[in-house]
Amino acid sequence: RSHLVASLLCLEGMMMSLFIMATLIASNTHFPLVNIMPIILLVFAACETAVGLALLISISNTYGLDYVHNLNLLQC
Amino acid sequence: MAYVLFTLSVLLVMGFVGFSSKPSPIYGGLALIVSGVVGCVIVLNCGGVYMGLVMFLVYLGGMMVVFGYTTAMAIEEYPETWGSGLEVLGGLLVGLMMEVVLVLWVLSLDETVVVSFSDTGDWVIFEGEGSGLIRGDSIGAGALYDYGRWLVVVAGWTLFVGVYIVIEIVRGN
Repeated sequence: RSHLVASLLCLEGMMMSLFIMATLIASNTHFPLVNIMPIILLVFAACETAVGLALLISISNTYGLDYVHNLNLLQC
Repeated sequence: MAYVLFTLSVLLVMGFVGFSSKPSPIYGGLALIVSGVVGCVIVLNCGGVYMGLVMFLVYLGGMMVVFGYTTAMAIEEYPETWGSGLEVLGGLLVGLMMEVVLVLWVLSLDETVVVSFSDTGDWVIFEGEGSGLIRGDSIGAGALYDYGRWLVVVAGWTLFVGVYIVIEIVRGN
């Protein structure tokens, strides 16, 4: 019984680790213009989170809970 | 303390293990927030003051709050914490064990593993009459509005369209 929101949390963790890595690269290589990349990455990660949460809400409205094994419409 | 960055990165990985072992979403969100705070302190330690502030405000203050109340609204059951089920506890213990092995291996080496954290963050500029001091990351992020004008327009339009997409998805039919 695994939730769908656990995958969204792992996606958020991946985006955060990418942000931290890009910021540390920008600081350590003394290349300030690279700081643009983590900010834009944060913008598009926010869009992705919003759409993922909207899908989560629609699944939870249809099935009551967001268990992954509820998503079996394409099962043969 | 010279090893503060190493300790913080170890805590970051342990926080990531905390939510990737898939407990109930509320506890996963808590572990993500703790990891976010630790990661922000790592960024601050390497001289990225502005980027740490952006991460705190936008990421922890914006996205985690939205995650928190969406999770609280969409999920209602008996939450499964790290000590309740065997799978979650097993995943957590395996992750922590691997982290401990890595830390011991890194500490047993005698040289720097990846990168040496030299002095970062401040730039000294010499202009016409005197000298000044600027922060590298805020100046670099400020260049987003100069060299990256079109990127700002595209990102703003993406966010605007994203709001419409979210409304249409949640409305359903």
